[in-house]
Amino acid sequence: MRLIKKFQETNLILIGISLLLFIIGLIGLSSIAVHQGYLHKTSPFIKQSIFFIPGIILFILIFYLPKSFYHKSAYLIYGFSILSISIPYIGKTIAGTYRWLDFGFIGIQPSEYAKWVVVIVLARYLSDNNLNIKKMVTLIVPILLALIPATIVLKQPDLGSAIIILSPLIPMIYWSGVRPYFIFLLIAPLISILTAFHPLSFTVWGILMLVIFYLSQPNLLSGVISYFSFLFLGLLSPWLWSLLNTYQQKRIITMLNPELDPLGSAYQVIQSQTAIGAGGFWGKGWGQGTQTHLKFLPVQESDFIISVLGEELGFGFLMILFTLFAFLIYGIVQLAYESNDRFSSLVLIGIGTILFSHFFVNSAMAVGLTPVKGLPLPFISAGGSFLLSCFMMLGLIVNMGRNTFD
Amino acid sequence: MLKAENIIHLGQVRVIRGVLLFLFFILIARYFQIQILKHDIYYKKAEGNRIRAISLPAPRGLILDRHDNILVDNYPTFVLSAIPVEFNDKEKKIGLISDIMGIPTEIMEKNYSNYYRNKFLPVRLAKNLSFLQLSLLEENKTSLGGTYYGKLPKRFYTDYLNGIHFLGYVGEINQKKIKQFKNSQSYNLGDIIGWSGVEKYYEDLLIGEKGIDFFEVNAIGEIVEHLSDKTVQPVPGNNLKLSIYSKLQKSMEQLMIAYRGSILISNANTGEILSYVSSPDLSTKQLSGGTTQKDWENIIADSDTPLLDRNTSGLYPPGSIFKLVTLFPLLEENKIYSSWETNCSGAYSFGDRIFNCWKEGGHGTVNMENAVAQSCNIYFYQAVQSLTLEKWSETCRNFGFGYKTKIDLPEEKTGLIPDRQYLNNKYGKWGWSKGAMLNLALGQGEILVTPIQLLQFANIVATNGKTNKLHFRLGNTSELLFSENYSDKTWRLIQKFIRSTISHSKGTGKLADPHLRGLYVSGKTGTAQNPHGEPHAWFFGFGKYKEEILSVVVLIENGGHGGEVSAPIARQAFEIYFSEKTQTQFSHAIN
Repeated sequence: MRLIKKFQETNLILIGISLLLFIIGLIGLSSIAVHQGYLHKTSPFIKQSIFFIPGIILFILIFYLPKSFYHKSAYLIYGFSILSISIPYIGKTIAGTYRWLDFGFIGIQPSEYAKWVVVIVLARYLSDNNLNIKKMVTLIVPILLALIPATIVLKQPDLGSAIIILSPLIPMIYWSGVRPYFIFLLIAPLISILTAFHPLSFTVWGILMLVIFYLSQPNLLSGVISYFSFLFLGLLSPWLWSLLNTYQQKRIITMLNPELDPLGSAYQVIQSQTAIGAGGFWGKGWGQGTQTHLKFLPVQESDFIISVLGEELGFGFLMILFTLFAFLIYGIVQLAYESNDRFSSLVLIGIGTILFSHFFVNSAMAVGLTPVKGLPLPFISAGGSFLLSCFMMLGLIVNMGRNTFD
Repeated sequence: MLKAENIIHLGQVRVIRGVLLFLFFILIARYFQIQILKHDIYYKKAEGNRIRAISLPAPRGLILDRHDNILVDNYPTFVLSAIPVEFNDKEKKIGLISDIMGIPTEIMEKNYSNYYRNKFLPVRLAKNLSFLQLSLLEENKTSLGGTYYGKLPKRFYTDYLNGIHFLGYVGEINQKKIKQFKNSQSYNLGDIIGWSGVEKYYEDLLIGEKGIDFFEVNAIGEIVEHLSDKTVQPVPGNNLKLSIYSKLQKSMEQLMIAYRGSILISNANTGEILSYVSSPDLSTKQLSGGTTQKDWENIIADSDTPLLDRNTSGLYPPGSIFKLVTLFPLLEENKIYSSWETNCSGAYSFGDRIFNCWKEGGHGTVNMENAVAQSCNIYFYQAVQSLTLEKWSETCRNFGFGYKTKIDLPEEKTGLIPDRQYLNNKYGKWGWSKGAMLNLALGQGEILVTPIQLLQFANIVATNGKTNKLHFRLGNTSELLFSENYSDKTWRLIQKFIRSTISHSKGTGKLADPHLRGLYVSGKTGTAQNPHGEPHAWFFGFGKYKEEILSVVVLIENGGHGGEVSAPIARQAFEIYFSEKTQTQFSHAIN
């Protein structure tokens, strides 16, 4: 049969790693459930186990469809996806947001699927426009393709997902062979604005920009103009910021960081770090974490599940977890490198970026490296829509990772 | 196109791998630091200690009068709370607290279930603790693990004024209210919010930003260390400066003690409210704690309805004051001329009905000026017939009747201006006649207005239509716009007539004039028939002294004749305000 034949061409290692990650997730969730009874109907452990079945079905479906299907219908899927993330605005808010599509018995978060749909459409565009990509202007279309859904999702409001939707943009553009200098031009203004509020960082950044401009040797005039406009942008931004009213500033800050509530995020990070640090090398043992079971750890079944694993199973176990993620991401990059066709290669890099961004932001916020953002850990955190999306992305990875066209 | 060749340089892969390696390295280093290097510290924290985050309530902003006297202040009270996670043996501990401090267990049980949010956030058990109670609590600290006490700023009101109807009061936010706030996350159950008056209207301004205190507590809930370097201090709310003139307000409150009704005083040029009295009223102190259930029942059952703000929510027929409104379109469209005269015999028959003048025997020959000054009904019954109901109700709306004045208070009624459609709906197309219009034009019948609408009308008339919206917050001035203004000629005649109402020896409002040098009072009285007994006594007018115009509206419910009851009260308002202006300058301090 075709499905079996397809499996024979497939990198089974990545499927194996993903299933291992899913099992690790269940270990964590079962520990949370141990004191509330496994079969309690609201137990995330039970819910996650049940979601495995549709997860596998969707994985096979995505895997079974020929590559040409994704290539052909990329724009169609994209349009449909934009529509589905806009629909929740018509309905009522759930928990103060417009993230959910409510079907009565089940709520779906369309933004989870929009993440990899954007990757497919970007791959299609970047592989079609192979020859022109050396011109700066061609970059406008892919930027818009990512920016539109990101803006809609940002308004929901869901900053985490908006960032994830934007994250594949730079790696994919880079992968399609754009001069690194163009990518630098894309991100430099952002860095200028961000560093502007910290004089030392801004000075370092100013010098760094000078070096980069010197090394990439652009046309003298455009180089000088770009350098000074980035510099001025940075210098202007604290002034522009001060022009805003306090309440406007506050509104922007809360939009960027909705969990700013001091009883919220500061508390969460302190508790999460304490949990992880208390775990030590060996951990306190499965079901033994006091931070977890005394409910000091917030949203432990999704955003902070790594803190549960860190407290109960320790540094050693987390390193195994990190290694699994490293193999997964490295494997995806390798497939993208070896891929025969440009479209598949770009899809692989995009999906790889999404998975890595999720992994990195989630495990970094739990130890206070990044601000608290509600981004779950792939295959591990409880959450129906996201788990299904992960299995679908896995389907895309192994599908695109075959060196056969169909 | 699908088969577009994939050309990836080794360099590109190396860059990607390098970035990945770098980020993985950072993560591993951080986890190593926390889990291996600092393991001991965190282990102790998790095992022996818990970090407790406690929110510090922010004091609400102060409310000041126009001379910076504090009307509403804050003072600290103490509350007792429990952290559910550490508050084991709940019943036993609550019993113990009850024994120590004499607070009934039922109250604490009820508070516990009301304020419970989750296991690790404090739940309020009791508030308004005395120092004696606090010290008893401190002595028994060891057996009361999981409890702690904190400060809570409470509203404190000046004794000087009542002012409940504009200051409003505050209360604890409940499940229902919390959902009405857009930024509901920043409110917790039990937080103090404005429930009425400017406390509610300016909630966003007055509310501060909560702070947060971090404590290390041991396994039985005792505080081991206050992590003071982590404390986020609460930011108090912004102060609210009102246009209220406390001394005037105080005098007016005292004047009104004997009556049911209202006095409103404003600066007609700026629209600033100087005095706002609805009588009977309550002192804000009465509503800020210390009110027993029985007191409350008395307040609510009081047939004089002290909780009702008559100024914005009381609906009354305006009586003869509305003759002025009726006069505007008549003059503007030259329907009748100011020189037109008629004979008032005391009665007027229209259709099959007889309409009477208030003055038995009639006024004799009256012209327009006398008709206003002496409030002759017969003159207006005849004059108004050249006016359509549509034109009349349009004029009323133009002056803001039938609409909210949008004053900065949360509650306001619109009143009722009947028009053709309203009467058709109510009586059927043929069920009413032009006779209804005769009543309406004299401010009787189904028309209803609020005193605040009349104050706005007074300001419009006093300034020939160039006034600002009524408001309490100083500086919150914005122009009052209306769809149609009138010609200079109309304004000049109206001003002449209402001045004559006060200054003429037969004028109905002559008792409103305190006869101060340089002060020119104008106005109109109203005596509004109503089904609840004696007519309501109205006075509406303004006094001009140099550039300053003080507008006054007085309503005495079931008081009798406006000219006899309300006008003298208005005179006292003018006297208090202006005699001070001329004699003792700039002595504004209260107390």
